[in-house]
Amino acid sequence: MSKADGDPRQRRPNIVVQEMTEDTIKFVLTGTDTSIANALRRVIIAEVPTIAIDLVEVIENSSCLCDEFIAHRLGLIPLVSHKAADMEFPYDYAGDDETVTDVPIELRVKCVSDQTEDVTSNDLLINGDYTQYDTVKPVHYRPSGRAFGDATASGAPADGSQADGDKHPILILKLRKNQEINMRCVARKGVGRDHAKWQPVATAVYRFEPEITINEDLMATLTEEEKIKFVESSPTPVFRYNDQTRKVEVNMPESYTYDGECLKWAEDMGKPGLVDIRAKEDTFLFTVESTGALPPETIVLNALKVLDTKLEMTKSELDIVKSEMDTAGVE
Amino acid sequence: MRAFDKGEIKPGVHHPDWVPDCLQVDPATLNAPIKTLKDKFELLPAFLKVRGLVRQHIDSFNYLINEEIKKIIAAKANEKVTCDTDPNFYLKYTNIQVGKPSVEEDFIVEEITPQQCRLRDMTYAAPVTVDVEYTRGKEIVTNTSKNGVGGVTIGRIPLMLRSSRCILTGKSEEELARLGECPLDPGGYFVVKGTEKVILIQEQLSKNRIIIDIDNKGEVGASVTSSTHERKSKTNIVVKHGKLYLRHNTFTDEIPIMVALKAMGCESDQEVVQMVGPDTAYASLLLPSLLECSALAIFTQQQALEYCGGKVRMATRMMYSRNKRSKVDEARDILAGVVLAHVPVPAYDFRQKCVYVAIMIRRILHAMVDPTQVDDKDYYGNKRLELAGQLLALLFEDCFKRLNADLKRQADAVLSKSNRATQFDIIKCIRQDTLSNGLEHAISSGNWTVKRFRMERKGVTQVLSRLSFISALGMMTRITSQFEKTRKVSGPRALQPSQWGMLCPSDTPEGESCGLVKNLALMTHVTTDDEEEPLRSLAHVLGVEPLLLLVGQELHSPGSALVFLNGHILGVHQDPARFASDFRLLRRRGRVGEFVSVHTTTGNVYIASDGGRVCRPLLIVENGELLVKQVHLDALKAGRWTFNDFLTQGFVEYLDVNEENNSYIALYESEITPETTHLEIEPFTLLGVCAGIIPYPHHNQSPRNTYQCAMGKQAMGNIAFNQLNRMDTLMYLLVYPQKPIVKTKTIELIGYDRLGAGQNATVAVMSYSGYDIEDAIVMNRASLDRGFGRCIVLRKYGCTIKKYSNRTQDRIVPPTPAQTGPNGRHRLLDKDGIAAVGEKISPGDVYINKQSPGNTRDPLPNPQAMPDSFYRPTAQSYKGPQGESCVVDKVMLTTSDEGQFNVKCLVRHTRRPEVGDKFSSRHGQKGVCGTIVEQSDLPFSERGICPDLIMNPHGFPSRMTVGKMIELLGGKAGLQDGKFKYGTAFGGDTVTSLSEVLVEHGFSYNGKDLMHCGITGEPLVAYIFMGPVYYQKLKHMVLDKMHARARGPRVVLTRQPTEGRARDGGLRLGEMERDCLIGYGAAMLILERLMISSDQFEAQVCTNCGLLGYKHHGTGRNLCQQCADGGTVSALKLPYACKLLFQELQSMNICPRLTLSDA
Repeated sequence: MSKADGDPRQRRPNIVVQEMTEDTIKFVLTGTDTSIANALRRVIIAEVPTIAIDLVEVIENSSCLCDEFIAHRLGLIPLVSHKAADMEFPYDYAGDDETVTDVPIELRVKCVSDQTEDVTSNDLLINGDYTQYDTVKPVHYRPSGRAFGDATASGAPADGSQADGDKHPILILKLRKNQEINMRCVARKGVGRDHAKWQPVATAVYRFEPEITINEDLMATLTEEEKIKFVESSPTPVFRYNDQTRKVEVNMPESYTYDGECLKWAEDMGKPGLVDIRAKEDTFLFTVESTGALPPETIVLNALKVLDTKLEMTKSELDIVKSEMDTAGVE
Repeated sequence: MRAFDKGEIKPGVHHPDWVPDCLQVDPATLNAPIKTLKDKFELLPAFLKVRGLVRQHIDSFNYLINEEIKKIIAAKANEKVTCDTDPNFYLKYTNIQVGKPSVEEDFIVEEITPQQCRLRDMTYAAPVTVDVEYTRGKEIVTNTSKNGVGGVTIGRIPLMLRSSRCILTGKSEEELARLGECPLDPGGYFVVKGTEKVILIQEQLSKNRIIIDIDNKGEVGASVTSSTHERKSKTNIVVKHGKLYLRHNTFTDEIPIMVALKAMGCESDQEVVQMVGPDTAYASLLLPSLLECSALAIFTQQQALEYCGGKVRMATRMMYSRNKRSKVDEARDILAGVVLAHVPVPAYDFRQKCVYVAIMIRRILHAMVDPTQVDDKDYYGNKRLELAGQLLALLFEDCFKRLNADLKRQADAVLSKSNRATQFDIIKCIRQDTLSNGLEHAISSGNWTVKRFRMERKGVTQVLSRLSFISALGMMTRITSQFEKTRKVSGPRALQPSQWGMLCPSDTPEGESCGLVKNLALMTHVTTDDEEEPLRSLAHVLGVEPLLLLVGQELHSPGSALVFLNGHILGVHQDPARFASDFRLLRRRGRVGEFVSVHTTTGNVYIASDGGRVCRPLLIVENGELLVKQVHLDALKAGRWTFNDFLTQGFVEYLDVNEENNSYIALYESEITPETTHLEIEPFTLLGVCAGIIPYPHHNQSPRNTYQCAMGKQAMGNIAFNQLNRMDTLMYLLVYPQKPIVKTKTIELIGYDRLGAGQNATVAVMSYSGYDIEDAIVMNRASLDRGFGRCIVLRKYGCTIKKYSNRTQDRIVPPTPAQTGPNGRHRLLDKDGIAAVGEKISPGDVYINKQSPGNTRDPLPNPQAMPDSFYRPTAQSYKGPQGESCVVDKVMLTTSDEGQFNVKCLVRHTRRPEVGDKFSSRHGQKGVCGTIVEQSDLPFSERGICPDLIMNPHGFPSRMTVGKMIELLGGKAGLQDGKFKYGTAFGGDTVTSLSEVLVEHGFSYNGKDLMHCGITGEPLVAYIFMGPVYYQKLKHMVLDKMHARARGPRVVLTRQPTEGRARDGGLRLGEMERDCLIGYGAAMLILERLMISSDQFEAQVCTNCGLLGYKHHGTGRNLCQQCADGGTVSALKLPYACKLLFQELQSMNICPRLTLSDA
């Protein structure tokens, strides 16, 4: 490392978080190149481990949907995956302790009312204590208590809490009177590369920050009307016409979609070079939108960790090869 | 006139003060769009609501069971059964009715539902009862039914679903659901022995009409196919060397037309000439025929009849004259009853027939002078469609006649005996199965055999294809032509301009039946027969002078016209234009049936009320003004009016193809001129059901729409709302079917938005990976994970429990304890010996543990309680593809109405798309999945959108499916503003409006996005056209097709590898491949492929005689049987097929000898 410190080509990657909500994060990654940004994106999509239902044992299913159908739907329910860090991949783990790899979940609902009943993610019965922060549970989980065989509790949460009032649970299927469903599921740790149900994100995307420079001299040759037309030529509010200064200003550069409409307009007006738009090749505007399995910042951090381990591994492998070559060279 | 009332100034009439209206109004309003009727489209759902999608079938069947059936039993030939031996005996049918669908089980009559019939392999049929009056001994007995009770049942007639007797008619959606029926199912088919059968619409040339055509010698001829209830015959009048002849099957030779006319009592040449037409041109053309007749020295009717009598065909003579009659009588009978059979000859008064012949001659002569008068056989006005009702009527009458003949025979036999033990009661002799089996068998086999017309047709019915909702619907509108498929004429296959609006221009199969199989357009209706008598008297009231009151000359007086009713000549009218318009007025006022058509040509007025004409509704325009006003449409929208109100109010009328030729139809309201008589309701209705699915079809190259029509029928999706309660042999269902974002009006009308067959996939048009050449598509693996293109295949397996003649029967037994291992073949059996629902099933597994008795022939003392050892196992084992994990979905146990016990198992397999599965958009753009790519490798847009599917842009230039591009744009815009978009033909949302939506939401107007490569992360150099397109998954999947083998079974006879995937066959090295190897000179490879790998055989050949010997396995020595010597035999290798050939030749007394030389 000490050698790299002095390297003038050494870059200093930097992350500045612009906006963060419960399920999205927007940050700017600077001081690196496309390959790293894309590697981060790819890892977020495909290699950040989460937990999802993987095995389903059907004990009773008299609903109108067939077993595989329901199993597929169960698999796609995002589960809160803080515990994923403490768990092992089932294909890596050689031990006998199932609790390290598996999280048992049950689904037991019978419809007794005359009305069609919805079976939702709230009806999933998680073994153990679901109140704890890091426990595996469906997103926006408010247990209905119906799974315990309590016929009176029809979908309403057992504890009567109204948390996440606007967050609807995920519908799994609907039951008619006397239809019953009883399934034993096993949730496991996995990565998005194996199945999309383990993807922690809905979207993970970056774009280059545009660098917009207005050729003020050329702009000055435009009439007022033309200036407004120019501002309007871009489908997104990239430019703004300032009434006071009577000048065109750059408004929201990040909203530019690289559609080239304003450039085309300038070209058609016979004013090429009116504006110069260039993608900054070392600045990336990232948007990561979580499915709810993990907080968005965790996803990014986990992705960096995965990236780090990968590099570590490559490095150690390289070292081995290098030492082998050295010894071979001695001989 | 109404339009010009206010100003009292008529346009076109010059008036000094007259200033056109448009110059007096405010110029601003001039630019306002012309006011058009909003919601003219609303008439369509109203129309389809009263009509349904398959009204033509149902109407035709209703006509049969309500009216035609009554006419059949009332016909002279059928009405009464008499007896040769007892003149007092008779059985008279006074009435007939079709009851409610029911079945008799254990002597209890129960109502049945169609769903029950499908599941239990029964026939959905209703009893036919007759009211009779007959003699029993000396008394006269009557048996009439009242309110469906009483009467004599003569059999059961299969019922068409949703016909007037079907229990489904008039039921609400909930009631239908309770009966297990899908509310979107159109009906119009039959359920026979559990299978759904459709009687396809048959296209034929009109009956009883004069058709002028040119024969292969270039001569003009007139032909008429006469059809009455009793007889069908074809009569030709041909020209030969300028002379006219009558040609008919019953005569050995052509008969000079003048002789024929004289035989029919028209002895005066002058009268003939007058009837044909007073024109000198006609007379001179007729002259050679007149001369020929006089040359034959035939001047009187008697002479002519003798001449004709001498030409009657022997076979015909045998048929028509049982007791000896003179030739003259015979000839007269044939001319009266067989030649031009449809023209009545009351009491041998040939007047009408003479005029008819004269008109035929006139038309021939006219065509000789003016070749444009030759009829076009492909013109759709000359075509009639035969529907289920008419076809069944033929069959019913045939069966009924057979029943009557049967009764007569029995009556003859019994009544001829002088003293009988009991009184003869004819009712007890009625056998119900003559009718029941006759109809049931015809519908289930599709073979229509009607003896009296010598009709033998195959493939009249087809199994209703339930592959998708559209395929079932498309089948109901299908029309097949009687034309031979092998004939290489393009005429009948070509799209005829007269088919406009009646038949779908897109929906026809490719290949041999292209253009011969057609489909009805959305609004087309096919007429049923209408009473002729009231029309006849009405015509006379309106001033038609009856034929019998006119002399020949008066037939063709200038300005007048001959009036025809269904091909019969009614008489002459002096003012044909007025007659036609009066007639139409009466029709619009509802005084005449709405399907009666009137059309005029020069000198002729044709009234048609016969069944099988295609027609469609149009809005009536009078004096350049549409009669329908916005008020009426508002009333329709509010539900106060129905489509029928529009009909009875005279706003809408049905026009058939012929009458369309007398009208001037505007396509759009803006095109109405004072001459316009009608306006189209909606232009997109010219397409059929299948083509109606396509968005923006008017932007596509025409064959693409045709391709989509064929592919829409193979798309997987929802079949019906009751799909999970069905037990079809093969069913393909989509796991997550969607509504298309870009809809059409047709889609809403037919319910495709409720039973879709596809998914909205985000498509990026770009090349990617090279696995997308030749229309292959690249798919996103994450999308597949999430359920895109996932489908369920359900296949039925089952068996019947047979009962044998010695009162033994098959049985199903639980598996023995030894058999119930966790890995055994019997592992999935339940305690009842049938596979448990939800169990995984793999090839070789037993799903019904059936046993059959060892002895099924000899009588046994106690057949019900035989020891276990008596039974041998005949278990049903599953034979699916290896490695496929299927699940038992459903098990059903039923008995059919014949007491047959059935076990049906449904096996389910859920599949996700894999490389090689076939997909298609709605624009005839099919392609297989070329590769499946990780989501992280796929390109992504600025917004993080990743395509589900990548399509290669090379698919566009040569296919010219611009509609697909607009669909993509529409889909993208639809997603943004959360609305479904319309891609209706000749309308729909415009590209401009779609682009506006896109721009509003920050997209590029052209639907292109900047995308980044998923692998490198760099932005792609080109903007990518991306958006949702509705994709269909087609039924062709690799899993059902892939096949390879190294070693495997061989055919017993030739010892060569078997053929075909089903038999695990070998892959053939064909002739062309062989040719390549020969050309290359790879002799050893040919030897290996063609012999060693196939049917190598070591044969022993005698060098002495050259015949095959054999190896004695006991001694190990070779022997030649011919030479009785072992020393001369040598072994050689040859294909077994070759050895077989030698032996087969020997068996035919040909002796092949092999001459061997040292190798």
